[in-house]
Amino acid sequence: MTTAVLEKSIAFVFAILVGGTTSTQLARDWNSTGLDNQLTKVLLGLMAFGCLLVLLACVGVFGNG
Amino acid sequence: MAISSINASHEAIEARYNAVDGLYAETRDMRLLGFVLVLVSDCVLFSSFIFAYLYLRNSVPNWPPIAQGGHQLPRFDLAFATINSCVLFGSGATMHFAMESWKKLDKPAFNLWMIATIVLGIGFLCGQAYEYHNVQITWAGSTMGASFFTLTGMHGFHVLVGVIYLMVLYWQANNGVYTGSKYFGLTAGTLYWHFVDVIWVALFYLFYLM
Repeated sequence: MTTAVLEKSIAFVFAILVGGTTSTQLARDWNSTGLDNQLTKVLLGLMAFGCLLVLLACVGVFGNG
Repeated sequence: MAISSINASHEAIEARYNAVDGLYAETRDMRLLGFVLVLVSDCVLFSSFIFAYLYLRNSVPNWPPIAQGGHQLPRFDLAFATINSCVLFGSGATMHFAMESWKKLDKPAFNLWMIATIVLGIGFLCGQAYEYHNVQITWAGSTMGASFFTLTGMHGFHVLVGVIYLMVLYWQANNGVYTGSKYFGLTAGTLYWHFVDVIWVALFYLFYLM
């Protein structure tokens, strides 16, 4: 196993963990109101998207580095 | 059962949030709007550098470009970047938990999540330093290097400021500056940290995936 494969495997597990947690929190706070909560929801959603990008990069869908 | 307990928890938090004097509530809303405008201006700053990078990238036939010495530049280390990204996104999740713990008046959990956030933030900065040390390009050698170091350096500076900001918030929270109903500083800190995470999503895509 090369270092790159090992790094991607670790990142894959962490991305599922963090992405899952972020999505759960987003769903949980979905009905909250107020500017700060609305902004937090947008930012949490984008963070979950970031985790999805990491997942896709780990399985080779994106990037060739 | 679980949904009703979540709703009850939300209602209790909201009741505490609104149980402040009118002057504080008004200034809190104004400060929040001001802080959102700061984030928007920061967004414009990053956007201008990102568009400059995209312009430079599209002005050469191949990417990575040929360096001044005539050799083909390598791609960035994607595998390491995936781990470093997870560290930063993880810190965003822990920061969210810290804020939620504060709202629920659970100070020990707040302290734990804040420390985790600070440690992960420092971890990301160490990862960035490691990448700078090992990357095979220089600032002055190519447009790719200039763009990479400018954008990731600017982001890294924001993370560094964020880590210091979180340390100050941690100290303040443990020295009676914030209460169960008055905690605007923590809200601003959480928004700033999430913002820094989201900027990294864009940079990660632009430099490592595109």
